[in-house]
Amino acid sequence: MSRAHRQALLCWLGLLLLGATEFGVSFIHFDRALRPLLMLPALAMVALVGLVFMRVRSGVAVVRGFALAGLLWLLLLLGLGSMDPMTRTAYVVQGIDLPR
Amino acid sequence: MSDEIAPHHHFQYASPRHQADTAIAGMWLFLATEVLFFGGLVLAWMFCRHWQQAGFDAGGRETVIAIGTVNLVLLLTSSFVYSSGLAFIELDQPRRLLQCCLVTMGLGVAFLVLKAAEWLIDIHERLFPAMADFRITGAEEGGARLFWSLYFVATSLHALHMLVGIAVVGWVAAQTRAGRFSSAWHTPVEVVGLYWSFVDIVWIVLYPLIYLVGRGA
Repeated sequence: MSRAHRQALLCWLGLLLLGATEFGVSFIHFDRALRPLLMLPALAMVALVGLVFMRVRSGVAVVRGFALAGLLWLLLLLGLGSMDPMTRTAYVVQGIDLPR
Repeated sequence: MSDEIAPHHHFQYASPRHQADTAIAGMWLFLATEVLFFGGLVLAWMFCRHWQQAGFDAGGRETVIAIGTVNLVLLLTSSFVYSSGLAFIELDQPRRLLQCCLVTMGLGVAFLVLKAAEWLIDIHERLFPAMADFRITGAEEGGARLFWSLYFVATSLHALHMLVGIAVVGWVAAQTRAGRFSSAWHTPVEVVGLYWSFVDIVWIVLYPLIYLVGRGA
């Protein structure tokens, strides 16, 4: 078995383990606002796929640059886009039912 | 001129390696735009869930988690198999690469068949958001309809990407069978592998958003 095959196999096993972890943890009841933390194993899985299957580390500088640019654009999109819901205060107006 | 330097080496590149690096960088740039394309969906999910948490989670609890989980395993396995195929062609074993491509395509088709079955179950369970007799009623109805709208849009777009992925892996298989790839030149195998892994990544992100976040709430 070559080094590349061994790395791919270990990566696949790691991905299955992380997938099983997030699946198992999802059945535990915890606060609704904290449920998005279930994305953490998924983020580790994305990093594994990027590093091993997509070979980001062995790519030329411009490849790493484009990969980082994609990540930066995503952070800007999600960060700036979620600013409003994160910071807005919803005041209760008497006589009006706010959507739940 | 290109044939004088190396097979598949075009005149505008300094070397075959330069040409391969350019092709791979081009695919990465395309994938960066795809990140923004799917990022918009994730942002919509975050925004909608923030304002409609109860309804959104009620919608998420109705998803068919068994099919979603099997599909996750299928896609992770397909990326592993294709990655192994790439390692085989680097060892000058095109026959193994061909086998890996066929298995990858098979896993992709299995994913789509299961996804279609899941859509049918969802519609049968009256979970299509435009239905007048939508299954979830009461205070949670609005949020649940939003969840299922995002569900159908996200899974449809992902399935479309899967179809393209299966087609291009099929193209790699056909080229491999025709003897076009070797350890010396296999750039398209690498480029298609990047696309396939990206489609896998999209499902890795969609899986918890759709099936897990609302489940234990």
